[in-house]
Amino acid sequence: MSFDGSSWLTGFGFYLQRTAAVRLLAQGVLHAGCTPARLTMTGLQVLLAAAILSSCSQCLVQANSWWSLAMNPIQRPEMYIIGAQPLCSQLTGLSQGQRKLCQLYQDHMVFIGEGAKTGIKECQYQFRQRRWNCSTVDNTSVFGRVMQIGSRETAFTYSISAAGVVNAISRACREGELSTCGCSRAARPKDLPRDWLWGGCGDNAEYGYRFAKEFVDAREREKNYPKGSLEHSRTLMNLQNNEAGRRAVYNLADVACKCHGVSGSCSLKTCWLQLADFRKVGDLLKEKYDSAAAMKINRKGKLELVNSRFNPPTADDLVYIDQSPDYCVKNETTGSLGTTGRLCNKTSEGMDGCKLMCCGRGYDQFKNTQIERCHCKFHWCCYVKCRKCSKVVDQFVCK
Amino acid sequence: IHTSTHLNWQYPTTGIPYLATKCVDVRKNQVGSKWFMPWGPSQCEKKIQDFSEAKDQDIGTNDIVFAIHIPHPNWQMSPWFQFLLVILQFDIIYTAQNPIRQGAMVTLDVSLGYRDDQVSEWTEIAHSMEKRKLTCNFTSLKIDDGRQYDCELLPFMELGSVTHKYYLINMRLPVNEDKFINLQIGQLKDIRFVAIHQNGGFTKVWFAMKTFLTPSILIILVWYWRRITMIIFVLGISMTFINIPVEWFSIGFNWTWMLLFGDIRQGIFYSILLSFWIIFCGEHLMDQSERNRLSVYWKQVVPIAFGSLCLFSFDMCERGVQLKNPFYSIWATDVGTELAMAFIIVAGICACLYFLFLCFMVFQVFRNISGKRCSLPAMSKVRRLHYQGLIFRFKFLMLVTLTCAAMTVTFFIISQVNEGHWKWGDFTVQVNSAFFTGIYGMWNLYVFAIMFLYAPSHKCYSDAGHADISGSGEELQLTTTITHADGPTEIYRLAGKEAQE
Repeated sequence: MSFDGSSWLTGFGFYLQRTAAVRLLAQGVLHAGCTPARLTMTGLQVLLAAAILSSCSQCLVQANSWWSLAMNPIQRPEMYIIGAQPLCSQLTGLSQGQRKLCQLYQDHMVFIGEGAKTGIKECQYQFRQRRWNCSTVDNTSVFGRVMQIGSRETAFTYSISAAGVVNAISRACREGELSTCGCSRAARPKDLPRDWLWGGCGDNAEYGYRFAKEFVDAREREKNYPKGSLEHSRTLMNLQNNEAGRRAVYNLADVACKCHGVSGSCSLKTCWLQLADFRKVGDLLKEKYDSAAAMKINRKGKLELVNSRFNPPTADDLVYIDQSPDYCVKNETTGSLGTTGRLCNKTSEGMDGCKLMCCGRGYDQFKNTQIERCHCKFHWCCYVKCRKCSKVVDQFVCK
Repeated sequence: IHTSTHLNWQYPTTGIPYLATKCVDVRKNQVGSKWFMPWGPSQCEKKIQDFSEAKDQDIGTNDIVFAIHIPHPNWQMSPWFQFLLVILQFDIIYTAQNPIRQGAMVTLDVSLGYRDDQVSEWTEIAHSMEKRKLTCNFTSLKIDDGRQYDCELLPFMELGSVTHKYYLINMRLPVNEDKFINLQIGQLKDIRFVAIHQNGGFTKVWFAMKTFLTPSILIILVWYWRRITMIIFVLGISMTFINIPVEWFSIGFNWTWMLLFGDIRQGIFYSILLSFWIIFCGEHLMDQSERNRLSVYWKQVVPIAFGSLCLFSFDMCERGVQLKNPFYSIWATDVGTELAMAFIIVAGICACLYFLFLCFMVFQVFRNISGKRCSLPAMSKVRRLHYQGLIFRFKFLMLVTLTCAAMTVTFFIISQVNEGHWKWGDFTVQVNSAFFTGIYGMWNLYVFAIMFLYAPSHKCYSDAGHADISGSGEELQLTTTITHADGPTEIYRLAGKEAQE
């Protein structure tokens, strides 16, 4: 890697200021349950060190992303009633357009953060058994350098996080947390009661979809790359994948209906839109990931299929422009973390099997004593009483 | 950014989804009632986002209160919404250790309160312990920990009038291990509610229509009341009974029985309409026997009466009890469900019986008509015209009735099929308010037309074939009132002239 000294220094300075944030990140990583497997083996210190190292190299490279909203806790907007600006200027990772939107819709920011978090969590669930497991490396660029490559994985990440935002905003709408949502058009509160009386509210999923489009795409739209350039093709790819993610949420939303006519007959029927469980969205996008289309930019400045024999992708499909990097070995340039230290399944033939996961490097075997909950008594909220059982398990870790 | 507030005023009703806020009752000893607000200045002191927090903070299951405020912030309810129907849906997560037991019941400790301004205390409307049956399954084939069940919608509450501005629902799911209450119901993630109300705009259009239709039917009823047969008169009365816009009072008064009353009015109208069709067919059997009284048709009327009685009992069991306890639902218990199904099935059988009888009568009439057709040329002119008139008016009403019924059924089917289109915003076919007002107007017009066209009953003719003087006078009057001489009146005019000769 080659970066000049000054930027490195700024980077370091940045690091010094942000140690607290890094610690926070470590907590976040632990919390989110996205711990790379090596954690169990080497402990927290190694992870911290790794996080610090990677964050240090990442923060120089590029790209704070709005995904960072998922990593830093955002204070509830109630605290910012008077000083409207601080929240938005404090949030790192927002582009100019996004910052403007933040100022207009401050109360949405918490939920965008939540949405990004849901998206990342789901990404980690869907990719838990793969070489690239969607792990977060720092809390500015979040996924690190890998996202600079326009690969399938990048496509999936963009789409799932956009989907997370639609989901979170629609949900917040339903909880009545947003001032501009659902039944209302913020600017004209005086007109509203009449509209509401006349015909009820609009629908939340559509609001979520529109806001997410505006916010997530803002970043791509404000760039102005020459038509046909590589950067332009990347912008197009991101836009397409963001849209696919948003559509996944909207397409999976169900129409639920209820009959309530005379004597319970179906002469009157009311329908409303109901969002699907986010796991289903993850499943769908994972399918789209598997069937993602390889694209290249043509002379007209539009994306076209590399292999024109296939059907062109629809707006619901994921596209990518670069081949995935080798996720087997750690590579600073591509940002790949490698699979060294990952847990694998000795008996499995799939991607989580030691053969594929360790890329033929072999694995180490450990005996590990695990203490877990057992004989639990459950209520609808949670377990209320458990005993602790310990058992010895064999663990296999990639070399 | 514009929100998607497309004004869906074209719909008669709106369903607004809510997500229950999880408040925590932090009081040490929970004596007396306390209301928990999901948001706003007086919101509950402590909220949790998900139940993992409950475990971490050692919050008991019985201290968690699910709160929803109807409507959403910055809005208020209005009497124009007419009714409020709330349904409940559980988001339950599957875990291998804690799955839902077969036939699980949930017990809800619910209370409903209201207030009319933002600051005053909440007043309780109802408080109840309710049981609901959980029906949850999986749609996807993959079943792993953390996947969500698809649970059926559960009836929760129904209010027959919306006279207050703000409503608050507080609900607990108390756990009692000794009595096995609320155990093995899976791991709850969220509770969602949907509040359905009639749209104010639709209510206004509806009221306006009723207010306009009442006098028009009433006037023609008074105008013809001496000449029309009993059954048409009763039909007119029942139509007027439906039309009378008593609902206006629901704007000012807290009349929760209005829903039930509306059902009863509709029930009366349907049974009268069905009886009318039987008697009308009977009158056109043309076998010269006295068929003007309801008692002759006991065979056909008994299924109508019995069927209506069943539906009435069902309605009383559901909406009647809801007057006392808005959370009551007949479908919540097994016995109730069986009872309700029994009522509905018996009513269905009655309806089938009725239609069999009706079809048989219509068949008889057509058989007689074709029989009379053959002997028509041999009859005297007056008698022939009389029979031709009868045949014509029967066929005409048959056509009109079938058209009305077909339109009603078509609209009904469209409204049932329509939900697929509902989702996309670009509605190809809309089940809108116009459908309902249209159907309603159509049946009003139908009754109007029956009274108008069939006012002079054929009983005025004596079967011997000579003219009845009083009858002809009426028929002449009829020709003067109807300027547009259409089908049957043309024939009456001819018949009248013949009769005068």
